[in-house]
Amino acid sequence: MLGQYLPLLALLLLAAAFAAGSFIASGLLAPRNPSLAKRAAYECGIVPSRETPERFPVRFFLVAMIFIVFDIEIIFFYPYAVAFGGLGVFGLVLIMVFTFAVFESFVYLIGNGALEWGPLKQVARPSGAVSPDRTVETTIRRVGLEDRGIPADDGQAA
Amino acid sequence: MLAQLDATPVETPEIVWAGLLPLLILSAGALLLVMLRSVVKRLPADVEPHLITAIGPITVLGMWFAAGLAGTDVPLAGLRDDMGEPAFYIGLALVMVLAGTLVRTMEIGLDAAITVGLGLSAFAATWGIWDDRWQVTGPFNAIGDQFAVDGFALLFAGVLAASVVLVALLLDGYLRRESLDGPEMYVLMLLSAAGGIVMTGANDLIVIFLGIETLSIAVYVMAAMHNRRTESQEAGLKYFVLGAFASAFLLYGIAFTYGATGSTNLVDIQIFLSSGQLVDNGLLMAAFGLLLVGFGFKIAAAPFHAWTPDVYQGAPTPVVAFMASAVKAAGFAALLRVFMLGFFSHVDDWRPAIGALAVLTLIVGSVMAIVQSDVKRMLAYSSISHAGFILVGVHAASLAGINSVAFYAVAYTFLVIGSFGVLTVVSGVGDRATSLDDLNGMAKRRPVLAFMFTVFLLAQAGVPLTAGFVAKFEVINAAVDSEFYWLAIVAMLTAVVSAFLYLRIVLSMYLGTADGDAADLGDPIPKAAGLAIGIAFAVTVGFGILPGPLSDLASDALPALIGAG
Repeated sequence: MLGQYLPLLALLLLAAAFAAGSFIASGLLAPRNPSLAKRAAYECGIVPSRETPERFPVRFFLVAMIFIVFDIEIIFFYPYAVAFGGLGVFGLVLIMVFTFAVFESFVYLIGNGALEWGPLKQVARPSGAVSPDRTVETTIRRVGLEDRGIPADDGQAA
Repeated sequence: MLAQLDATPVETPEIVWAGLLPLLILSAGALLLVMLRSVVKRLPADVEPHLITAIGPITVLGMWFAAGLAGTDVPLAGLRDDMGEPAFYIGLALVMVLAGTLVRTMEIGLDAAITVGLGLSAFAATWGIWDDRWQVTGPFNAIGDQFAVDGFALLFAGVLAASVVLVALLLDGYLRRESLDGPEMYVLMLLSAAGGIVMTGANDLIVIFLGIETLSIAVYVMAAMHNRRTESQEAGLKYFVLGAFASAFLLYGIAFTYGATGSTNLVDIQIFLSSGQLVDNGLLMAAFGLLLVGFGFKIAAAPFHAWTPDVYQGAPTPVVAFMASAVKAAGFAALLRVFMLGFFSHVDDWRPAIGALAVLTLIVGSVMAIVQSDVKRMLAYSSISHAGFILVGVHAASLAGINSVAFYAVAYTFLVIGSFGVLTVVSGVGDRATSLDDLNGMAKRRPVLAFMFTVFLLAQAGVPLTAGFVAKFEVINAAVDSEFYWLAIVAMLTAVVSAFLYLRIVLSMYLGTADGDAADLGDPIPKAAGLAIGIAFAVTVGFGILPGPLSDLASDALPALIGAG
């Protein structure tokens, strides 16, 4: 009875043998002449004094959440697909209800901008201290209240 | 192989949709609300007020249809025949206009209005089933033999729907004050209440577990919803970790029950246990213990109460109102169902454990409350002591005991929502002003609110002419009827001890003088919150003076187990 799993076991052994063989072969055959420059983490620039903090946009987290939404849906679809014939209309209605309920969270995520990767929309009222206009001389946004005709108090409050 | 599977149709359970209507209204309503608010982010400013006003008449129609669908006849058919058809329908139209006006004067937000409408419709559906189906045909199963519709489940479903309505009214002003507007809180609350309804009628331990998880997971998130307050985050995390722990215990208990009895279905368990075929009593004892630990966490019974003060203090105050009312009521409904129906033949085995829990809970709840200086914390301990009182009713394990638990759950729901409703209003932005000193001189700043808070607190202490007194009286009466005098005495003594705590709050409201920088400056109360507190007040005093109707309702509301077929 367990005989039907024999190919699986053979594949497992083959995969393990291949992985181990590759490691051993590269260890034996690869030429080695290390130098200081080769070992450095970065070849140019200032030598980092500490690990840089790994920051990434929170949107990646939302993408992971969307993945989980569909993952859960798929997990339930598989057993349903196997028993599809026996469950009949009852099963179809139930899986539709389930799909709708899970899909709902996807709609919520999309509705709240989980897949909007463009530049952030300007939500806050632009403050008087920063002018979005570029001048002739420079493309850098002008910061400050000089020569704008805006009272200084207003800028501080904003 | 696949062909074989195709050939054997799976037996599908018989479903009585009408019996599931309250559950369907709450859960489908929550999904539709989140859909609506995700697709339409912002309504035009000139449309929104009219839409909100329209929710009033729509709610009346929704209640009408829900009651009609749940029952077998047109709702209020008797009244219609008395009044004659034209007059009756004109009256209905008038009520719709009135509802619209009421919504308009309440200045309520769209999400809150929809939630209140859904809660009221679910309540109407519960009433329809009660009046037109359950009282006619007796208890019945709604999904196969998994979900029962009986008086007990219906009463608790009504309690859950009512607490959704009241807490939504409180949430509206609160969320606006804290700039947390959004549909999320309401959606979570609706889903949580739907889970609670699953718990109240579940006939199978697995279904109870499903209900508990639906109920709890939503509340974990609600507790952490105030994302700018670290206390709220802390409360959410604490509640989540300990709740998950409790769920594990419960699941372990279910597994042991299955091991001892060979089934997770309460009907089968009852039949098996009363037939006396049980081989391994130790396994069953372990199951009792583990299930009690699991439920004990949910209802905050000592010694599983440790999370309560921290979570109640940190979570947003309206959420605490929901936790103390709906979550606790659903927990007790499930506890009573499992032990009184499933395990009744072994009552002598589980009764001592419940008795010990009750005594410990009563003592911890009342004694620890005295040394607190934060009102939210005090009320957290007082809710623990109330759980002790309800456990006294469960411990009686008699008809009177079940009735007293039902009465207590209804009365306590309104009491506690009223109390935390007042705290919501007076605690100021960020829920900061919740210490006893902050309430100093409240009677001068807000005389009406202080008076109502006093009544709620006195009702919690069990002063006559309030629903709290009748509730405590019935519980102790049930204990005396079953001849557990020692438990009745402990309950009465701890009631005296905890009266001190309530009087302390009342004294500081009336006698204390406010220092200059009190956070609560007597800002106008949000009208919706005022309405919720007013309703809670009316119910508390109304059922205190005339407990008859609620008493009859509670004594009608008996749980029942119906086997398959």
